Amino acid sequence: MLGEYTDRPGPRLRASAVRVVAVFGSVLNPVTERDRRRRRVVALCAPFAILVAIAGAYPLLEVVRISVSAEQYRSVGFSLAAYETLFTDPYYREVAFNSLWLAGGTALASVGVAVPVAHALEKYDLPGEDVLVTLVSFPISLPGIVAAFMILVLLGNNGLVTNLFAMLTGRAATDLAIAVSASGLFVAFCYSMIPRATLILRGTYSEVDHAAEEAAQSLGATPWQTFRHVTFPQIRPGITGALILTFRTGLAIFGTLIVIQTVLVWTLQISRELATGYNIQVAGAMATVYFLFTFAFTAFGLRYTDAEVGL
Amino acid sequence: MTVAPSRRFGRELVTVILFLTVAFLIAPVLLTFVGSFAGEWSGVFPSEFVTLRNWREVLGLAETIGSQRSMGWDSLLSVGGYTLAVPSELLFSIGLALGGVFINLVVGVPIAYAVARYDFRWDEWVSAISVLPLVPGVILGVAFLRAYPDLSGTSFGLIVGYSLLKAPFMVMAVRSEFESMPLQRLEESARSLGASWPRTFFTVIVPNARSGIVSGAIICWTLAAAEFNFSYIVWAKGTQPLALFLQRHISNSSFTRAAAAVSMFFCIIVAVTVLLQQVGSRGFDPRG
Repeated sequence: MLGEYTDRPGPRLRASAVRVVAVFGSVLNPVTERDRRRRRVVALCAPFAILVAIAGAYPLLEVVRISVSAEQYRSVGFSLAAYETLFTDPYYREVAFNSLWLAGGTALASVGVAVPVAHALEKYDLPGEDVLVTLVSFPISLPGIVAAFMILVLLGNNGLVTNLFAMLTGRAATDLAIAVSASGLFVAFCYSMIPRATLILRGTYSEVDHAAEEAAQSLGATPWQTFRHVTFPQIRPGITGALILTFRTGLAIFGTLIVIQTVLVWTLQISRELATGYNIQVAGAMATVYFLFTFAFTAFGLRYTDAEVGL
Repeated sequence: MTVAPSRRFGRELVTVILFLTVAFLIAPVLLTFVGSFAGEWSGVFPSEFVTLRNWREVLGLAETIGSQRSMGWDSLLSVGGYTLAVPSELLFSIGLALGGVFINLVVGVPIAYAVARYDFRWDEWVSAISVLPLVPGVILGVAFLRAYPDLSGTSFGLIVGYSLLKAPFMVMAVRSEFESMPLQRLEESARSLGASWPRTFFTVIVPNARSGIVSGAIICWTLAAAEFNFSYIVWAKGTQPLALFLQRHISNSSFTRAAAAVSMFFCIIVAVTVLLQQVGSRGFDPRG
């Protein structure tokens, strides 16, 4: 009765309004088991929905609104001046480019390291495996600023690796220190991302079919052939998922950049817009572009690849 | 007959990569901890052991030249002339993170159950939204400044922000626990014994998922206690969250003192992880 199709907009609108009211009615005052079930789902999702609405959706809408405002401090009128600046000024194009190559490069490098690490942890019987898992997971709880400090400890002027190389080559440590450079930043990003990628890939590895691998081995396949043709197709969803996640993580990194300020990326530029003259329009426009880009990228990644949804 | 290189070296190579990665991740952590007890650190390794000066300075127990750099102390309670004082940044961050975890429990456990137990329209969307971080801290910080200019820098604003940023980790941990449980059977047996649905949820389902809930709480707490990006954007005045305190030391202090500040943070992470694991394995266990 309610789903009845009609060409005229009036009754169709009324029919859908009736249907919405009927759903609300069934949630508030359930009659059938199906209604009660629906009420449970609504009740279970409600706290999360409230948090997302108050702390996520509304503030983001306010940011979108100010980014097209005609005045600096109030949301009035409509102006695309901030977006015009973003898309025409070569300065912002370079900032966007920096963000993309840094996040993309470190995502590839981190997942490239995480595959053998997860492979060794899940496939081999290593002594002290639990300890190794704990050690690899520990940096997940370290914020970006601490990751940056770790890189200073390794590659800075006083750094361990720097001084080892200085001793071996006889050159001055200050010439070899790369912590405060683009490559140092690259390593710092990997420090944050390798543990996360490993976590995802270990989950994928735990579902791999061992029987097929053993069959391949007993038919004479080398370990590499087994990995390439049997294991790899099974872990591919995990690899795609890990790439999507680490790329998103890479774009969002900010603390690391506050300590090692050598490459100007999108997030750092947003904070600079606010710090110098509280340019909330441009900061808002940058936040909007960022949000739309990551949303589209993630939706695309999940829709058109076999990636597993995960953190 | 030649042996394929992957049969000869493959396993060794992969194992070497694993150990190199562990060394890369953990060596600086250990070196920092050791360095925090050193008086001087200008060569490969720190020297002039053992001194507690860095720790005393970081914790605000020793006078420092720029005294605003060390931690302030708040008196918690005074009994008969003795005052129990606590480092204020530390206590502040612990409280903020606990507040965030509390909100995460309230919002995260139910939605994880909805996604794991029921099929409903849009359930794929709900599950994707609940486990993917919605926005990064910097963007959320800008949004909070704009939408709640008076509230964003307060403790309440920080707690709400942390809870939204870290909610996906709670949902992930709890959901994977729910997915490993026979939910339908549990629910149906409890209900056939006469329990109402809310009673079933709170007294049967949730206690059975405690290990997932505890590990979710551990992850959320450590991540919220160390949250930097959002705090950096919205924080305005008063006691600093721990991550800002760390950043101030990393950027401004001597290397050994920064090492002490970072090591103090390592100690907190390790202590809380061990503590909550103990609670998770003993405190809630009806059989234990």
